[in-house]
Formats: sequence, C-alpha cells, structure tokens
Amino acid sequence: MPEVVIPIGPQHPALKEPVNFRIIADGEKIVRLELNLSYNHRGIEKAAEQRNFIRVLPLLERVCGICSHSHATCFAKGIEEIMGLEIPPRARYIRTIIAELERMHSHLLWLGVAAHEIGFNTLFMWTWRDREAVQDTLEEMSGNRVHYNMNEIGGVRCDLTPAQIEAALLRLPNLEERIKKYREMVDSEETLLIRFRGVGSMSREEALNYGAVGPTARASGVDYDVRRDDPYLAYAEVPWNVVTDTRGDVYGRTRVRIGELWESSQIVRFCLENIPRGPIRVDAPKNAPKGEILSRYEAPRGELAHYIRTNGTDKVERIDIRTPTLANWTSVAVCLVNKNLADIPVIVAAIDPCLSCTSRMVVVNNERRTNGAGAPGVQITSDPKNRQNRM
Amino acid sequence: MSVLLEMIQNLLSRPVTILYPREKVPVPDTFRGRVAISDDKCIGCSKCSLICPAQVIRMIEGPRDVEFKGKNIARKKRPQVKLFQCIRCGLCERHCPTGAIHLAPEFGGSGTDREVVIT
Repeated sequence: MPEVVIPIGPQHPALKEPVNFRIIADGEKIVRLELNLSYNHRGIEKAAEQRNFIRVLPLLERVCGICSHSHATCFAKGIEEIMGLEIPPRARYIRTIIAELERMHSHLLWLGVAAHEIGFNTLFMWTWRDREAVQDTLEEMSGNRVHYNMNEIGGVRCDLTPAQIEAALLRLPNLEERIKKYREMVDSEETLLIRFRGVGSMSREEALNYGAVGPTARASGVDYDVRRDDPYLAYAEVPWNVVTDTRGDVYGRTRVRIGELWESSQIVRFCLENIPRGPIRVDAPKNAPKGEILSRYEAPRGELAHYIRTNGTDKVERIDIRTPTLANWTSVAVCLVNKNLADIPVIVAAIDPCLSCTSRMVVVNNERRTNGAGAPGVQITSDPKNRQNRM
Repeated sequence: MSVLLEMIQNLLSRPVTILYPREKVPVPDTFRGRVAISDDKCIGCSKCSLICPAQVIRMIEGPRDVEFKGKNIARKKRPQVKLFQCIRCGLCERHCPTGAIHLAPEFGGSGTDREVVIT
C-alpha cells in the first residue's frame, strides 16, 4: 500500500495547543512521524535577560501553567548557588511542599487527560474533582491556584500558618484514599487495561538512547530521578522512593504516575508534620557574581534544566530553559512507529506534553545531528521563523 | 468493579459542585485578588513601581501629608495601577513599607480596556 501523509494541526479541534504532526502512514500503521514545534514562541528567555532577579521570577513562572513552581524554583536554586546563599530550612520545606503539591495536581490532571483520550470521561471528571482539593490547598498557602509566586531569591515569599498546615493535613487522608482507589481502578478496569497495556511500548535502551526523562523514562525501567540523584530542597531529609516500572507502555507510565502521586502525598505529609521553625528567607545580594550554572529540577513531567549565566549584575546574561517535554518528544516519535493510527492520542498524551513550554526551546542543527533527532523514522523541526530568531 | 462502586457512591452523594450564586466558595485570607491602594497610608516611596514585574504601576502627582513611624512626611507622589494589566503577583504588597498597596480578596476581574487604572 502506498504511504500517505496525514497532516494534523497546528490548528486542529483535537489539539489543545498548536503543534503540527505529519503522520506518514501505510494503511493503519504509522511509518514515520514528523513534528513541527514552536508555534507558541513567546520570547521568555530574552525577556528574562532584561529583568532583575526579583522581577524575573513571576515571568519564569509563566513559562508553564502547570509546573509554574518548578521553573521559579529551578531558577532561584541556580541563582542562589551562584550567589553562595543557603536558604533557611523552613523555606526549603515550604518549597518542597509546594513542589510536591504541584506534582500531585499535575499527575491528577494527566490521569484525567489520559482517560479523556481513551474516551473514559467519567474517570476524567473524578480525577479533576480530586485535583480541586490540591488546588484549594495551594490557593490557601500561596493565594493563587496556578501561579503561586512562593519563591524569591533567598527563600520564600510567605510563611505557612499553623491553620494552613492543619487544613492541608486534613485534606490529605481523603486524597490518599483516592490515590489508592485510582491504583485499584487502573489495575482492574478493563477499559483502561485494553487501551493502555502494550500501547506505546519503549524499552529501557530506547528510553536511554532518545533521552527520555521523568515518568516516561522511569516507566521503561530507567531508575533516575533528580530529587534522589542530585538532591535539592528537602528531598535528602525526607523518606521517599523513586517509582519505576518495567513495562514501558502507557500502562507502565500510568502506574508510575499513580505511584508518584502516593509518594508525593507522603512527602507533603512528612514536610507538613516536620516543618522546622525559623526564618523563611535570608537577605540576598542585589547582584550575582559572574558565573554559570546548570540548575536541574525534577518537574512533574521530568527533568527540567535551566542554564544560567550571570555577569556580575542584577540580571542574567543568558538563560536557556530545557523543558522535559522537549526531551520526551523524540521518544514519543519512536514509540509511534509501527503502531496503529488510533493509538496516537494516547501515546502522545502519555508523555504529558506541554507545547507552550517546549516552544522556546527547539534548536535544530542539521550538521550536528547525533542524538535521537537523527534516528530513523523521526524528524523534529522547529518553525523556520522562530529558528531564525534564535540564531 | 471499583468503577461501578465509585459510580454508585457518587449517585448517593451530594454533587461536588456548588449552587452558585446561592452558595459561594469561601475565599482564603491569602487570596491575591484585585489590587487596592490605601491612599492615607502611602508615603510615595515608589518601591511598588520599581518592583512591579509587569511594570503597570506609575507614580503620579499626589501631594499629601502622611505620618510614617511617628514622623510627618510631605508626600509628593502616589501610585496608579493599570488594573487589567496587573498580574497579581503580590510583589508590591511584599515590598510596600506601610501596607498601603495590597491585594484585596475581591476577584481581580478581567476586561478588554488595558488602560483602566485605579489609584
């Protein structure tokens, strides 16, 4: 059968964000996937270079609407390291609590989206209902459901009151109960098992080869988590486990995320119960010394990296953000080869893609293609207009 | 089976949604809503204007005598905020020495006129 090209997007009713897929199919089987990213380039990195360290944090939070705390913390952590600042233990715990609550709401959101993609909208409603409890906790602690703005260089903006801690602890048992139920559902519900098992399989070697990160890689047996392997905030002091799975398919990724939901709830519980007393911030100098750093952070979708270069002023000279979705795109393109067309939505959703985050980041250098971008059957390009902007 | 049980439980329980406008969701004390300015407290130091990440606070003429830490100050300027361009990050509130500018618990609102200001 001759190959046909099926273009989807950048504007398409099934897409939540603009991206262009060119699927080359032979009948029902996918031969190759060509991705065209970067329709949402917002120039955040350039804008960040023009703002001082206080004003840049709210901007960096807006890189992503789901993992806003991840970006701000990753940046603050890097700048604090360049400045040689050590933030107070209470601030570390507060940052950890917000980070894990963020992971919980992100994974609950993902579980709902994955269920929606397979037409199981009932589960979608349930997970999003339970996500509200996490969102309410975040709102009570920070004053906002999405952009918490808890970070500042040297600590956190506001403290947690005993009443807030108590309210959060009161919500946790119900959430833990719900997480257990979801684990049970995913393991026993036929609708989920049929559509998740064996779909989008990726071996450990492939995951390593194509640079997959986060739950996508951990579901393929890659035992790697920045929180454990390069500890930051309070993770070294909190008892928790890295969740991995060996299946490598969408089912494995679902199990990893539900396992992480449980671990996050336990981290939040531990931090709330054992939060140290003391100040929540130290005075940070206005300027950062000349230096460069690669700040790593385990965002809900995987390893997030901020490359920061400072030049002795109160602004960064250069910031480069590598979001986890970018690292996972190649692996998803590999997963799709030889699969059915109908599996595309769930395989793409399984990496929890965030396209606006990724849109600042694609760098294409055709002469130096040595990684997954050059793998057979995979082609990732950026929008030519944006590519020129970056060069 | 777990899904069926969940469905039955949901059928027998109250809806999770509320009957707005008869019921309203409680707003937490920490909520960052519409920006508000207490003119009698403002000493015109311009810190809010300098710190604002969205650069929507402009200092305008506003002479007034105000008291700050037991001293009388002849203030020259006061802040003016572009309401719908404000991102409600709370940095102005955090850096204001007198608590004059703050984020009130009222809903921030939205509008198409980017030039709407409050003083």
